[in-house]
Amino acid sequence: MKLKRLLFIHIILSILLLAGCWSSHEVNTLAITVCTGIDKTEKGYLITEQVINPRAIASTKMTSESPVFLFTKEGENLDEIIRSFSTQTSRTIYNAHLRMVVFGEEVARDGIQNILDYFIRNYQYRTDFYFVVAKNTTANEVLSVLTPLESIPGIDLYNSLKESEENWAPTKSIRIVELVNSILADGKNPVITGVEVTKGENISNSTDALKASNEIKKTIFTGMGAFKKDKLAGWLDEDESKGYNYIIGNVKRTVGYANYGDKVKVANEVINAKSVMKASIEKGRPVVNVEIDIKQNVGAVEGEFDVSREENIKIINETSEKKIKSICEKTVRKVQNELKTDIFGFGEAIHRKYPKLWEKMKDNWNNEFPDLAVNITVRVKTNQLGQITKPLFMKEKE
Amino acid sequence: MAFQVGDGIVKYFKKKAVRENRINSAIQISRSIDENIAGLESGFGHSSDLVVRKLKFDGNMDITCAILYISSLVDKSTIGNLSLELTAFKPECCKTKTDMVFSQLMSSIPGLRELKEGFEYESLYTDLLSGNIVFLLDGFNKFFSVTASTDEGRPIEEPTSQTIIRGPKEGFNEKLNSNILLVRKRIKSKALRIEKLTIGTVTRTTVCLMYLDAIARDEIVQEIRTRLGKIEIDGILEGGYIEELIKDDRYSIFPTFLSSEKPDSVAAALLEGRVAILVDGTPYVLTAPALMAEFFQVSEDYYHHYIISSAMRFLRFVAFSLTLLVPAVYVAVTTFHQEMIPTPLLISIAAQREGVPFPALVEALIMEFTFEILREAGIRMPRAIGPSISIVGALVLGQAAVEAGIISAAMVIVVSITAISSFAVPNYEMSNAIRLIRFALMLLAGTLGLYGVFMGLIILVLHLCKIKSITVPYLTPIAPEIKGGNKDTIFRAPLWKMKYRPSGISGTDTARVGYEAVNANKKGKPEFR
Repeated sequence: MKLKRLLFIHIILSILLLAGCWSSHEVNTLAITVCTGIDKTEKGYLITEQVINPRAIASTKMTSESPVFLFTKEGENLDEIIRSFSTQTSRTIYNAHLRMVVFGEEVARDGIQNILDYFIRNYQYRTDFYFVVAKNTTANEVLSVLTPLESIPGIDLYNSLKESEENWAPTKSIRIVELVNSILADGKNPVITGVEVTKGENISNSTDALKASNEIKKTIFTGMGAFKKDKLAGWLDEDESKGYNYIIGNVKRTVGYANYGDKVKVANEVINAKSVMKASIEKGRPVVNVEIDIKQNVGAVEGEFDVSREENIKIINETSEKKIKSICEKTVRKVQNELKTDIFGFGEAIHRKYPKLWEKMKDNWNNEFPDLAVNITVRVKTNQLGQITKPLFMKEKE
Repeated sequence: MAFQVGDGIVKYFKKKAVRENRINSAIQISRSIDENIAGLESGFGHSSDLVVRKLKFDGNMDITCAILYISSLVDKSTIGNLSLELTAFKPECCKTKTDMVFSQLMSSIPGLRELKEGFEYESLYTDLLSGNIVFLLDGFNKFFSVTASTDEGRPIEEPTSQTIIRGPKEGFNEKLNSNILLVRKRIKSKALRIEKLTIGTVTRTTVCLMYLDAIARDEIVQEIRTRLGKIEIDGILEGGYIEELIKDDRYSIFPTFLSSEKPDSVAAALLEGRVAILVDGTPYVLTAPALMAEFFQVSEDYYHHYIISSAMRFLRFVAFSLTLLVPAVYVAVTTFHQEMIPTPLLISIAAQREGVPFPALVEALIMEFTFEILREAGIRMPRAIGPSISIVGALVLGQAAVEAGIISAAMVIVVSITAISSFAVPNYEMSNAIRLIRFALMLLAGTLGLYGVFMGLIILVLHLCKIKSITVPYLTPIAPEIKGGNKDTIFRAPLWKMKYRPSGISGTDTARVGYEAVNANKKGKPEFR
């Protein structure tokens, strides 16, 4: 009886102990990576890890220490390089809190397939970090920029991409699952936001540098990189990026303006935008119809234009529709003629509607895409005028 | 659901039976008064507070009367009154020593005082020791005694361990009679049953069983009665002795008797069909069966609006889980599962832990131990030195340790949350139990991570499901689930919704509100499964 009980306890204990969590690490033995940059070199890759320096963040006094450290290493294989960082630092590289992966432009043009495999296979990585491509620069350069306000550049990049996606149309955040899915999909190609580094001095703790805040180095999201499968095909500028986001329905809030005549300029706050992409067949050829529904508020009025009048609202709607339509059409033209990669997912729209036709088309889709007819309809509705109705300085005409 | 009698208890029971036989064959007192007095004096070992007065009555000098009492136990004014009455007593026309004299003497003591006759030494001792004045008459092999026990002791005061804002502020004290009074005053019902028992072979402590007939379940009353009867111990000094001796699961850390200092809580428990055990000499009254949910209830819950009470009670359950889990989860998450912490929080924790020389587990243990020591010291310290403890505690725990970089600030926050939450659990025994379990969980967290914490929690829940309080499962309205019986656990339903006494505890009389209406329609009666 007693032996049985002992045996029972032994079994329970060994089950408990053998299956326990084995990876015990104190927080102060970790090098928390927030940002990883990947560049191409002759040897293979140059990896830059941006690691938080808790000591600098902890101290309440001004320290001369930088809030982050950069570790760089060259090598052939990603996993190998990242593990070998232990030769440079006393702490274990901890990747679970990675916020950003920055591809150098060259790497992006070369193809990111093999890199993605590592990020998705390794158990440490979560799936909530964003990808960006360094435009006209290297990832190392992007990572070495110190940022104002938010002391950790990686987190600054992450938050500013998130914010700008919500409030400013020309950016799009992309996470690993979406990225891999759109590379794998037949009728769709991924788009990754680009990041640029402005000219200037890197921010330092001296107040002199802060005074000249215009001249400090900053990271700026500029347009998007259109990929063909896993290779960067080319860049969309800000307007085209906006058009892209309107077409795929990724606009949450943004601001656009419309000119009416020479003197009047009305800025509109888009509060809601939806797009519906439908394929149809005209004259035996597939056609994609994109319908964009936009709700907007009047944001600012320049010139004498009484927005409180019904007919003027109509004018605003029409001019906005025209403007957005032209942006979208310009984007589609550029993508079809220059980049020749279906980043909009038109192929998927056809696939959804005409699966059999798609079976025949899909192998040749890259060649057929530039000739695809795309109809864009934009409907704009203006809801509110803001806190005032007529422009303040407009004379009453009675 | 029968109570499994342990081997030990059976043995005790057998021994008890043997001893009772011995008492039953007790020696009768003799007819000779001198012999009796000599016997008593030697029995008490010539104790200095045993007073023996011999006197002869004016009318009949032949009759010798002896008055015995223990001076420390007897009320002085009663002695004064009695001596006046005795001087007035004149035995009538009695040449012979008949029973007449004895009964005349007995009836000459007026008033409503308790008088009783006795024949044996054993009851003579008991009477003397419970503060009675004993009268012996020469030539009679019997005695009678007058209750004269002193009423000295603490008056009825506000309870110190259970303070409230609204509600009666009377508390029990060390006197059994006044405790019974406090309950009687609240329940003016003929159904209130009080059974007196004497427990403790040396202390002969009076223990009272109190319950409401028909409202309490017979099986439970009988169970408690038999268990009390089986107690074989030299002394009972507090209800805790009884609790420990008749508990269902004697190795369980959780209290299965609710001790209360407040007569209104006890009255409420009686009305729910519970049984109260009052012990002479302690202001704490035990009620049983006491279930898990009860330890989070406060008498005030029923005096305030039910929504507010429900919110407060929910808060107490939250505090309970916080005390139990916060340090364990903190240790587990910061040493094993950093990926679970939001990035900004991780950065600030990492920043604080920078330069802390201990692992998180050791850090947590140091702080928790320090807190426990401070708490313990605070209780035992003389009042006058109390404040210095809190100053030292605040400085050591709070500032200095953090500033010296030995302890991270986050850990101080964790320990404070734990400490404050543990005080929000209203029952002291329950909060003690949780505090101890917390250490086990912390060790599990430090060695196995969250996996260990959850293993610990599973074991804890299994244990709670297993233990019983006087044959009733500890988690009763929740597990086993009672349909419609869950109105007074985590939330308190309004009084008019709680139509029945808790099933499984209460007896045949289950309706609480709308007596006739509810009894007529028994359809909605919750079933105890």
